[in-house]
Amino acid sequence: MSLCVSSDLSSVPRIFYAEPAVSLPNFLERVNETTATDRDVELLGRIASQDRAAFAEFYDRHATLMFSVASKILNNASEAEDVLQETFVQVWQKARNFNPKLGKASSWVAIMVRNKAIDRIRASQRRSRLADEAGAEFSIVSEVSDTANEAILGHDKAKLIQSAIVELPVEQRRAIELAYFSGLTQDEISKKLNEPLGTIKARIRRGLLKLRDQLEGGL
Amino acid sequence: MNDERMEEQASLHVLGALNPDEAREFKQAMQADPELQKFVARLSTATGALAGSVEAAEPPPQLRAKILAQFGEKQKIISLPQRGGIAFWLPWSWATCVTILCVLLFTQESRLRLTVGSQAQQINNLNQLVQSLSATTNDLQQTVLALQATNRLANLRIAMLNSVVADAPKTVAVSLWDNEKQNGVLVGQSLKALAADRDYELWVMDENQIPVAAGVFHMDASGAIRMDFKPSHAIKTAGKFCVTEEIKGGVASPTLKNLVLASN
Repeated sequence: MSLCVSSDLSSVPRIFYAEPAVSLPNFLERVNETTATDRDVELLGRIASQDRAAFAEFYDRHATLMFSVASKILNNASEAEDVLQETFVQVWQKARNFNPKLGKASSWVAIMVRNKAIDRIRASQRRSRLADEAGAEFSIVSEVSDTANEAILGHDKAKLIQSAIVELPVEQRRAIELAYFSGLTQDEISKKLNEPLGTIKARIRRGLLKLRDQLEGGL
Repeated sequence: MNDERMEEQASLHVLGALNPDEAREFKQAMQADPELQKFVARLSTATGALAGSVEAAEPPPQLRAKILAQFGEKQKIISLPQRGGIAFWLPWSWATCVTILCVLLFTQESRLRLTVGSQAQQINNLNQLVQSLSATTNDLQQTVLALQATNRLANLRIAMLNSVVADAPKTVAVSLWDNEKQNGVLVGQSLKALAADRDYELWVMDENQIPVAAGVFHMDASGAIRMDFKPSHAIKTAGKFCVTEEIKGGVASPTLKNLVLASN
């Protein structure tokens, strides 16, 4: 199964080949981001060799993001601490499994802490309640002054990201949030929002692609 | 599976919204398709940013130490050999030396205590032995004295000298001779008084029956005599004793016709 078997780019959807134009400032920011990513790759390599100092630095770089995600999903500080602790144990044990070709380290640890938090919710059968709460309000705040991204990327980038997310169509944004922060499957989202499954899939696809394009273009 | 379908699956995958069977199938497809991996990586950037868009919450400060402490023991084990300098090992070396010294001193003290105790016991035994030997020595000394006394008596010779003169039958004398000391005592009575120019002379017969002059004495009217005597030369074994009447001062050889007393 290959998505890019033809040398004729005109036959390939834009999302698979299109590289947005990058201005000089954006280029420099991307260089800095690449450097930061390289640092994470280096740290994870050292953690794989049981380097405690590297582990401490990695904690300092990502603990706020991970704890923020866990706190948002669980809405309980004590449980968020437990999940954070479990996730860092997993980082220590699974660091050698990290593949930088499949994404950034921050995305890797974010999905790990998200999965653990969702597992905990499922184990305690609180998902329906949280799904209801998620349906009542958006998880993503519009103000950018105190988001978790700011701790990693700085104020300006965090503001750009927040603007890109908030500017997503409401139906796309809500489907994405229900999947990511409430741990609902596509079927559950379909039922929750009383929309056809195909519609939910399409909303999620379009929303993520738009967000990716905006982030790649702006960062 | 068309491209749009694959994009939907990739989007649901990065959000964790695929059903378990779909998720397993998608991972298999991704492993075989590098382009799909790149596409997923780019979508993951979006979900990473999405995760960071929530309100920031700082973990408790003590949680960091708690988490790092879980891996502290192993770190200590790894880092210990890295502190290979003299400054690190010196205190441990001193502690080891002091410990060994304490053990040696304790062992030495224990040995000394045992030795002192053993020697004290030996001294007590020796004192008891000395007391026992002292008592034995006293007994032996008493025995020696008794033996010496017995031996001395054995060396004494007592002889009765009887009269050989018909007109003086009561004349009698006793000679006590100590062969070891080569002297003796003569005690007599009822001896006839002599003229002023005459003396009695005592003779001791040696082992060869040769008379040896042993002393002269004068007798007055009392008729009794007690005289210490000593032969003119050494007597190995005294045989008989006899007394003769001689000219005053005695003679070198006895006059047999003047024999007065003689032992058996």
